[in-house]
Amino acid sequence: MATINIVDLQKNYGPVPAVKGINLSVEDGELIVLVGPSGCGKSTLLRMVAGLESVTSGRIEIAGRDVVKAEPAERDIAMVFQNYALYPHMTVRGNLEYGLKNRGTPRAEIDRRVQEAADILEIGPLLDRKPRQLSGGQRQRVAMGRAIVREPAAFLFDEPLSNLDAKLRVQMRVEIRKLQRRLKTTSLYVTHDQLEAMTLADRLVVMNGGLVEQIGTPTDVYDRPATLFVAGFIGSPPMNLVPLSAFSGADFSALPPNTDIVGIRPDALLLERPEGPSVTVEAIAELLEPIGGESHLHVKLTGSNQSVVLSIQGRPHVDEGAALTIFARPADLHPFNSATGRRTDDPATA
Amino acid sequence: MQAKRTTFPNKFLPYWLLVPQLAVTLIFFIWPAVQALKSSFEREDPFGFKTTFVWFENYRRLLVDPMYVGSLGRTAVFAFSVTALSMSLSLILAVAVNRVLRSNRAYTTLLVWPYAVAPVVVGILWWFMFNPTIGIAPYLLRGMGIAWNHRVDGNQAMIFVVMAASWKQISYNFLFFVAGLQSVPQSQIEAAAIDGAGPFKRFWTIVFPLLAPTTFFLLIVNINYAMFDTFGIIDATTQGGPAQATNILVYKVYTDGFLGLNIGSSSAQSVILMIIVIALTAIQFRYVERRIQY
Repeated sequence: MATINIVDLQKNYGPVPAVKGINLSVEDGELIVLVGPSGCGKSTLLRMVAGLESVTSGRIEIAGRDVVKAEPAERDIAMVFQNYALYPHMTVRGNLEYGLKNRGTPRAEIDRRVQEAADILEIGPLLDRKPRQLSGGQRQRVAMGRAIVREPAAFLFDEPLSNLDAKLRVQMRVEIRKLQRRLKTTSLYVTHDQLEAMTLADRLVVMNGGLVEQIGTPTDVYDRPATLFVAGFIGSPPMNLVPLSAFSGADFSALPPNTDIVGIRPDALLLERPEGPSVTVEAIAELLEPIGGESHLHVKLTGSNQSVVLSIQGRPHVDEGAALTIFARPADLHPFNSATGRRTDDPATA
Repeated sequence: MQAKRTTFPNKFLPYWLLVPQLAVTLIFFIWPAVQALKSSFEREDPFGFKTTFVWFENYRRLLVDPMYVGSLGRTAVFAFSVTALSMSLSLILAVAVNRVLRSNRAYTTLLVWPYAVAPVVVGILWWFMFNPTIGIAPYLLRGMGIAWNHRVDGNQAMIFVVMAASWKQISYNFLFFVAGLQSVPQSQIEAAAIDGAGPFKRFWTIVFPLLAPTTFFLLIVNINYAMFDTFGIIDATTQGGPAQATNILVYKVYTDGFLGLNIGSSSAQSVILMIIVIALTAIQFRYVERRIQY
């Protein structure tokens, strides 16, 4: 049980900055997900917290103690690696016990904790096997078990599900969430999968280019993306980002003054006029993709050739090449300024 | 995994393609081996006029000859020492090089050079360095109060050839250890660091066990090297002396056969060596080729 405080943390690889000054405080028992495209510095940040990368400048506090100079072993954290990093020459039991033995935990206590972890993760029958005899999902559980037995102040997860197939990934995602709720251990979780991020996180940290773009609950981040990057990154299919100039004739006088680009979620674009005020735009249908419960309609705005995606419930009948009128509620428009990349209706940054 | 089977339209072509390799093997390996086997059962008079078939007499004499049994013991000491010394030093060097990221190519290149030096040249280099009259090493050792003269002192002679032979083999072992170390996944070492193992403990509980296949392979290769490929070094330095102190089996084959002209005994000795090689190779194939299971 602990908080993690990251203050103005920076990391350079030679002259190349990887993490450019990050501030983040993780509450006790919270699960924070770091999400971003590859190369955004999220893994570097996690590895700095773990003590596997040196820190160029800044502070990391775990449970109120500055750990920047501490060895990984002294930080009271446990990490789950992307490739699990199980010790291949030890049995599952050996893998679970290794960290406890190194710390001189009494035998009875080791046995109790290993048994407890095995019960929680249902890996009891696997304890005497070697890692190579396990399936991907089982290895994943053992890797989790190795973290649990230590009863650390914090868990660090480095893309732990990316080596699993899609079905198992969903299943393990749910299990990790349940487990974290049950143990209430402060956790930092790195992923590039935004669906994983949305479903797991108490709070999301969206990173790009070594900087934090936005910190907030998944719904906050989805409903009010703070920057153009977040708007384009979170959500599938991604939010449409359309320059105001691409709309011909629509009235945007209600938007904040320095707005020059608006974001509209694909499911906020409608083919039928909604009640109340609406923005309308003419378009040509290009491609209809039925994906089961909903359909994605790709259209081009008339006059500007701007591509836009609509997400429509069910399977509408739209001919390719047909002329359409598209509607949106003014409340569903996210106003941005393309020069600053930020929202224009946010009192803090406007 | 099975290799793809090639089928030839011509029935005899595959055999013709095999002929050069088979010819080399037969003429340079099988034929001399059979010759050695044959003459190990024979006794020849000093002038080569008469050859008698004597069954196992040559072998029987060898096994009761204190000189031969002594040489067998010295070979064991020599092979064990060379293997232990060269493997442990090369492992230390490999671990050190594996720690430096940027300059490790330069170090690797430099450390591999000794392997390119011919055994006889190695012998001569060490002969100069340790020459009791003109060498730099005995001069320095005298300064420390050690009287070095491997021409007189059998133990010093053994230490001397062990050093010379190990020095050359370190490069080879080093290359394999570096490759082995680089194939140990970084994340396992990191996991161990988080699990509270210090650098020393990480090495012995994680890295070293994962190196086991490499270590075992090198063990066999080094024993083979020490027993059979060190002829040049011995010949250029001590020539088996003083008083047989460094007369290992492979050198004794040469002295008895070519200097002592006792072809029968020399052949019997080389057949015994052959059996040892075959045994070592069998062990290597049986265990190394199947890999050590974690």
